[in-house]
Amino acid sequence: MSVTSAPTPAPAAAAPAVLPFMVRFRLKGAPWIPLSILAMVVIAAIGGESLTPHDPNGLNLAASFKPPFWQEGGTSEYLLGTDNLGRDVLSRIIAGARVSVIVSLYAIVFSGAIGTMLGIVAGYFGGIIDMIIVRIAEIKMAIPGLALALIFSATMEPGLSTVIIVIVLTYWTWYARIIRSEILSLRERDYVAFAKVAGCGSMTIFFRHLLPNIFNTLLVLMTLQVGQVILFEAALSFLGLGIQAPDTSWGLMLADARQYITYAWWGITMPGIAIMLTCLSSNLTGDWLRDLLDPKRRQL
Amino acid sequence: MGLELRDLSKHFTVKTDRGRATVRAVEKVNLEIPEGQTVALVGESGCGKTTIAKLVLKLEQPTFGAVNFDGKSLSEMSRSEIKDYRRQVQAVFQDPYASLNPRLTVRRIITEPIQAHYRHDRATLNARVAELLDIVGLPANAADLYPHEFSGGQRQRIAIARALALNPKIIILDEPISALDVSIRAQVLNLLMDIQEKFGLTYLLIAHDLALVEHLSTRVAVIYLGSVVEHGASAQIFSAPQHPYTQALLNAVPRPDPDYVPKAAESFDDTGSALEPPSGCKFHPRCPHVMAICKTDNPALTTMADGRQAACHLLSGPHAVRTA
Amino acid sequence: MTAVPLLKVENLQTHLHLRRGVVKAVDGISFEVHEGETLGIVGESGSGKTMTCLSILQLLPTGGGGRMEGSVELDGENLLALNEEQMAARVRGQKVAMISQDPMTSLNPVFTVGDQVSGPFLYHKLVKTVREALAAAAAGLRRVRIPSPERRLKNYPHQFSGGMRQRVVTAMAIACSPRLLIADEPTTALDVTIQVQIMSLLRGIQKDTNVGIILITHDLSIVAGLCHRIAVMYAGRIIETGKVRDIYRNPQHPYTQALLAAIPHLGQKRHRLAAIPGQPPNLMDLPKGCRFAPRCPKRMSVCDDYPPAIDTGGGHVVNCWLAAKQ
Repeated sequence: MSVTSAPTPAPAAAAPAVLPFMVRFRLKGAPWIPLSILAMVVIAAIGGESLTPHDPNGLNLAASFKPPFWQEGGTSEYLLGTDNLGRDVLSRIIAGARVSVIVSLYAIVFSGAIGTMLGIVAGYFGGIIDMIIVRIAEIKMAIPGLALALIFSATMEPGLSTVIIVIVLTYWTWYARIIRSEILSLRERDYVAFAKVAGCGSMTIFFRHLLPNIFNTLLVLMTLQVGQVILFEAALSFLGLGIQAPDTSWGLMLADARQYITYAWWGITMPGIAIMLTCLSSNLTGDWLRDLLDPKRRQL
Repeated sequence: MGLELRDLSKHFTVKTDRGRATVRAVEKVNLEIPEGQTVALVGESGCGKTTIAKLVLKLEQPTFGAVNFDGKSLSEMSRSEIKDYRRQVQAVFQDPYASLNPRLTVRRIITEPIQAHYRHDRATLNARVAELLDIVGLPANAADLYPHEFSGGQRQRIAIARALALNPKIIILDEPISALDVSIRAQVLNLLMDIQEKFGLTYLLIAHDLALVEHLSTRVAVIYLGSVVEHGASAQIFSAPQHPYTQALLNAVPRPDPDYVPKAAESFDDTGSALEPPSGCKFHPRCPHVMAICKTDNPALTTMADGRQAACHLLSGPHAVRTA
Repeated sequence: MTAVPLLKVENLQTHLHLRRGVVKAVDGISFEVHEGETLGIVGESGSGKTMTCLSILQLLPTGGGGRMEGSVELDGENLLALNEEQMAARVRGQKVAMISQDPMTSLNPVFTVGDQVSGPFLYHKLVKTVREALAAAAAGLRRVRIPSPERRLKNYPHQFSGGMRQRVVTAMAIACSPRLLIADEPTTALDVTIQVQIMSLLRGIQKDTNVGIILITHDLSIVAGLCHRIAVMYAGRIIETGKVRDIYRNPQHPYTQALLAAIPHLGQKRHRLAAIPGQPPNLMDLPKGCRFAPRCPKRMSVCDDYPPAIDTGGGHVVNCWLAAKQ
């Protein structure tokens, strides 16, 4: 059932849909809490050590294993307590945010770019190019990410760059597959057929018809990937294959505090909560963006 | 001169449960599309008429045979010749909701074909857009709106404006009104007839609605499982169909007359599969007048005394029972 | 035909309360269907014909804010008074069945046809074991003239053609011998030769079981073969009702006349079709008077008031001031 009417000279509800994400920015339904959490993470990443109440690496064995302030024995000096070396947990979380954000950014940008490009090429040209790219992706997917990380750490120095490289190599296939199938379905659209009939070249068709229509999907994929990447980095650092001391990362905090979980639960729980909140927030934001940008939901 | 199809064939290989098989979607179609006429391809789903349209639009390449334009085969054209071809042959597709890019304004949609061939300045383009909108009966301010702000009938008008942008000679109409509401169809149909007269256009119409075809076309080719079974002037074919398939099709079309009940032979199973076409005449399993020869020999398309062409053993050849 | 109608709809209203406004999809319609009779509801998209059927079955889209009012009486029982559980257990599939438009999506592609056709028998407890259900399913397929039904029970939907799928769906619908069958554009997606077969199938079923049929369509031509009476809907209301013969021979409402004139008909070649200008109205913002008036070639000033139902004899009822003039 359609609700049709003649187009009014000054359309009431519509605004130009040129920029897909800014247009129907219905702030009313926006998930405020996830967005604020993400904002805090970004601020922490930018501010880094200037925002920390204490030096994240400042050892103070006298102050070790202090519980969070709401527990007996805790003080307001160390809000979330201290770890085994007396380092302030809150400060380490704030400092560790930087690693999470940097890793996410680089990983998403690079894996997104490579994966999208390969997905587009595979989907658009089809044939043997498609087959080659798909096979490479399948071979890569057969290797678990952590195994790949192990191989890399054995040959390279473990550290931030290694983590980023491993993540890019692991995640490009995700983008490639999804974008490829988007392109496959977009390719069959009537307006693409018409563009060919009109005489447009492949490049024109690509930039005018295909790219804008995958932009939304891409945006959502990137937001959803944030959570996954942070978890992956945490896992790598936990296993000692990623960030090394004296750098701080949430994953590393988990690894360090693991042994003391029974009597200093805050050491592992606080970074764990930070990871969880960040992942959850980015997933919820991704969900919201997807709903926002889905043209079918614009209708009624 | 003009457009013609010579022995046009398109085969697809598909993977079935029993290995690879060939689908003969279009098989040895010979057809001319004379200038100024409306030639209709009719047939049921799966008969290959849409594939023929795609071959004519060079969206698919023929397996055998050719689409000839002004004497030259499309497959042998140089890039500039193809560009020239595209300037002269345009299309309007079936689904008005899928044939316009939702992210582009009407202005950009209509000027797309022009910009693919020429470099005009903005003023010239805008003037052309205003002219085209006027021809299809849309207000001038429509140019800056987006497709979703229009109804189905209006979108189809936009698609028609787009097809006219390059002043083509030939327009391929693929089910141009079947996706529209009934009360809107007449508007768009009248528009198509008006512009044909005004611009001297040639139409190749793909449709399954026989009443529409009778209304709009001057010549009709009836297609069954990829081959032409009857072809001739519309008036002739509709008033006195000779091929059993054409007769069955026309008998099955309902009319708004309470005393007319469309007939169909009870043995009329669904259209045969293009994957495993029957031997001999492809229509023989469903034909009420099947003879022995029909099961072994595929009848050739022959010209009858009254000028039409038909492929049927009843009408031509040594076993002919009737003569047209 | 019995005197008590099988289905009696009175002043049915289905309004969808959306964020942007209220869509009056069905705005006060009344009609009857008798046993063994077929009523054709003719209208375009937005006329409310599909919403009418969904309202009878209470299958409105969830979360659509749909409110229904009026009464829908099946064999004297008001269906609108029943809750979801009662509808599912007693009415849907059992007393009232529906065939919808697209045979491609009506069947679940991952279950065999046997599973799906035997489903209604088991759900409504007409049989006790799965084996009995499958036997009943085979009988059902035979009834809709699918050859080799036992073998085809094991096939999946994609192994059937469009016309066959529609037959399978019909078999599922008539499994429990419903009193009323609603066919929503059952042949729109099918070729014309298959259309004839499906229509003839429905006719045969009606003759055998005396089921009442509501046929929803936008095509005035196909109602001729199957329907006894027609109701023409426009913008949520019925504007003309009558026997098929009366409507074809003597359409009273300008919209009905326009519909007949606006479509090409085989054998009647005209140079130009009489197009209906304008667009159907916005269901959120309906005019107070006759809803077709803005597009009507015979519009008068009195049309600003909604025309009452005028009986022009023999059950031919029109909502048009022109009919009142006689």
